Amino acid sequence: MKLKFIKVALAGNPNVGKSVIFNKLTGARQHIGNWPGKTIDKKEGFHRVDGRELYIVDLPGTYSLTAFSVEEVIARDYIIYEKPDVVVDIVDASNLERNLYLTLQLIELGVNIVIALNKMDLARKEKIEINVDELSKELKVPVVPTIAPKGYGLDRLVREIVNMAESRVRPEYIEYPGVEDYIRELSKYIENTELARVFNPRWLAIKLLENDEDVIKKISGFEDSKYILEKAGEIRKRMEERFGDAEVAIANARYEVIRRIISKTVKAVRKITASDLIDQAVLDRYLGIPILFVILWWMFQFAFTISAPFSDFLGDLFAYIAGILAGLTGYPYIDYLFFGDYGIIQGLGAVLSFVPLIMALFFVLALFEDSGYMARAAFVMDRPLRKLGLSGRAIIPMIIGIGCNVPAVYSARVIPDERDRLIAIITNPFIMCSARLVFFSAIAYAFFREYAGDVILSLYLLGYLLVFVTAIILKKTIFRGVEAPFIIEFPAYQKPSFRVAVVRMWDRASLFFRKAGTIILIGLLVIGILAITDVSTLSFTSNPENSLVALIGRSLQPLFKPLNWDWRLIVAAIFGFVAKEIVLGANAMLYGVSESEIAVKMSKLYTPIDVLGYMIFIQLYIPCIATLAAVRHESGSWKWTLFTVLYGIAIAYILNFIVVSVGHLVFG
Amino acid sequence: MKYLKAFLSVLSILYLIYGILQFYNGVISWWIRENAITIQLGIRVGNTYIPNIFPEPFSGICLIVIGFVFMKSLYLYCRGDYRYKGFLFIGWMLSLMMLALNIIVLLADVLDAYYPAILGGEISGWTLESDPWGIAPHSILGLIALPLYYEVRDMIKELIPG
Repeated sequence: MKLKFIKVALAGNPNVGKSVIFNKLTGARQHIGNWPGKTIDKKEGFHRVDGRELYIVDLPGTYSLTAFSVEEVIARDYIIYEKPDVVVDIVDASNLERNLYLTLQLIELGVNIVIALNKMDLARKEKIEINVDELSKELKVPVVPTIAPKGYGLDRLVREIVNMAESRVRPEYIEYPGVEDYIRELSKYIENTELARVFNPRWLAIKLLENDEDVIKKISGFEDSKYILEKAGEIRKRMEERFGDAEVAIANARYEVIRRIISKTVKAVRKITASDLIDQAVLDRYLGIPILFVILWWMFQFAFTISAPFSDFLGDLFAYIAGILAGLTGYPYIDYLFFGDYGIIQGLGAVLSFVPLIMALFFVLALFEDSGYMARAAFVMDRPLRKLGLSGRAIIPMIIGIGCNVPAVYSARVIPDERDRLIAIITNPFIMCSARLVFFSAIAYAFFREYAGDVILSLYLLGYLLVFVTAIILKKTIFRGVEAPFIIEFPAYQKPSFRVAVVRMWDRASLFFRKAGTIILIGLLVIGILAITDVSTLSFTSNPENSLVALIGRSLQPLFKPLNWDWRLIVAAIFGFVAKEIVLGANAMLYGVSESEIAVKMSKLYTPIDVLGYMIFIQLYIPCIATLAAVRHESGSWKWTLFTVLYGIAIAYILNFIVVSVGHLVFG
Repeated sequence: MKYLKAFLSVLSILYLIYGILQFYNGVISWWIRENAITIQLGIRVGNTYIPNIFPEPFSGICLIVIGFVFMKSLYLYCRGDYRYKGFLFIGWMLSLMMLALNIIVLLADVLDAYYPAILGGEISGWTLESDPWGIAPHSILGLIALPLYYEVRDMIKELIPG
């Protein structure tokens, strides 16, 4: 029967070339969004063949279909509930043994499968010979050898997809030695219930015997679930008496099948490759982490250096435009709001000056990711960071954050586990960015003289300490749960693709334009109106002392009395929400001195302890508006955005209070 | 064979010396005192040195790490261990990356100095002497490491066929 519309899902381990096959098949006819309620990319597209439309969805790369990670749940749920006509399992021919674990789990689901045996060129290079026909016979599904970047085998793959979708042949399953009787027994009970209408009985039986919590939750609403769970419990108990652990017994059975298939289909002569040699150095017990440090330092210097002239130019360009347009409307209120020193045009310039940095950082990150190095970086950092409540890949946002928190928050996408990613996102604003350094370096020497460097270094360390403490607390409370096993594939090193890097760079930049732009504009407008509206007449004022923002500062003064602040420091901190560099300029404006004189002016009004407390507050309180927009977008939740704001303010206030109270108690 | 041993010995020691000096310059300038007197080990050209050991502790650490990577390669090579090539390749790559970075920094600084002309602003101008990096050890050592290409070219050909 000829179908006009065929729904296809692409599944497979990470780094098997899934995205390349997706891009080759869909070309320009693709769309990238997010999976509902998640911040994981959902790629979908179309491919037309012989009057048929193939709707192709690229599922997240996973190593298995258990419910350890969000990616696994997304992939599994899509296949169960969306019921694609065909699932294309993309398998790395150079690493067949490991890839077949997912293949067996896909076969368990009882769906129509076509296997794309990709990276055949790499397998041949590594002297791995695969008997494709025998493999197809063993797995009972069509197997198509492919070399995705060259397009080799893709036409045949499409033909097999169409044949599979239109043939309506019932998929066959593979028997698992030792445990098959138990699976069959439970399957029979399930077949006679309502559950069989939604779930494949054999797959459900396996999952219940594995005691899969996600699946147990999913079936809880069904009429016969209690009865089936009782039966599953009985059978599992018998399995445990025989094997010790039912889940392990099923996993062992899968591995036994894989070993049998591999012994019948693969002949390999493994030689030492360039990738093996490079791994000796980058995974070295003593030099692995220092090498990573050098590479991250290099990336950081590269991105900041190359973007600096463009960022400066954008900031100056907007100031120039604001200068030209000043006084254009003849209405001081609108002129100041749009073209003033703290107006929307200059504010936009400050925010848009982040764009070259974001582009440069993501360009260089993509190059390293594509080269195959980032998987190794995650591996060497996983053990030390895991002890501190973070994932190994969190090293990337942690380092980038020193330069700027905005690209750092976006870079957290490299962390596959959603909980780890959220922790990295919401703790990143604690890391001192270069914008905060502008204010600190301007006032530190006036107050702390030869210890100025130590004070700034201790602020850096305080930021990192809070990242680790917060991560540990979150992991033990809100994000408590079963830790996903750390499985990472080391792809062979390759020359990074310039095109891929440019595409990723543009993706991130356009994301910043589209998503952050709206929130930033609204924020700038609100702050602008507050700064130029006279508190008594509600008309225009150029004197910030009479403005609504000064009123807010004065109203909040009792709250900040224990920290020894006057209202100007509060207002400067509010301005710092637009961009942290502004704290310096705002303080200078409010105290009626130039930026170079502010340190001297403040030293007459405050003690070094008060200023140290204020510096700690500025270091830790609310992130700037662009960072906040990035947190909102990447966390996908206003709840976590609000948490980031409130938690930051609370920690900043408490630490400021402790420093001021204890400091004055000790030093007077 | 003897040449490679000698070459790696000299290169790794140079990286370590310049790395330690840069780390020292960075630490005393950043954290100990302002206007500290830094140490230079190079040829004086006008008001600058070639190489110019600018004060940056983290950059110093990077040079030290590269020195250790070359040293480990030398150690394995002397023992006849095939793994020396992996360390040699990584050391060579890092050397090239540092050389490229120095060039990029200089180009970016030139651009930063002259772009205000587009908006009719004042130009601060750029000279090699006024550049914070200048011709840093990163460039000189990167250039010295270039001939190691002949030792790693088979690995490069394997990674980038054709």
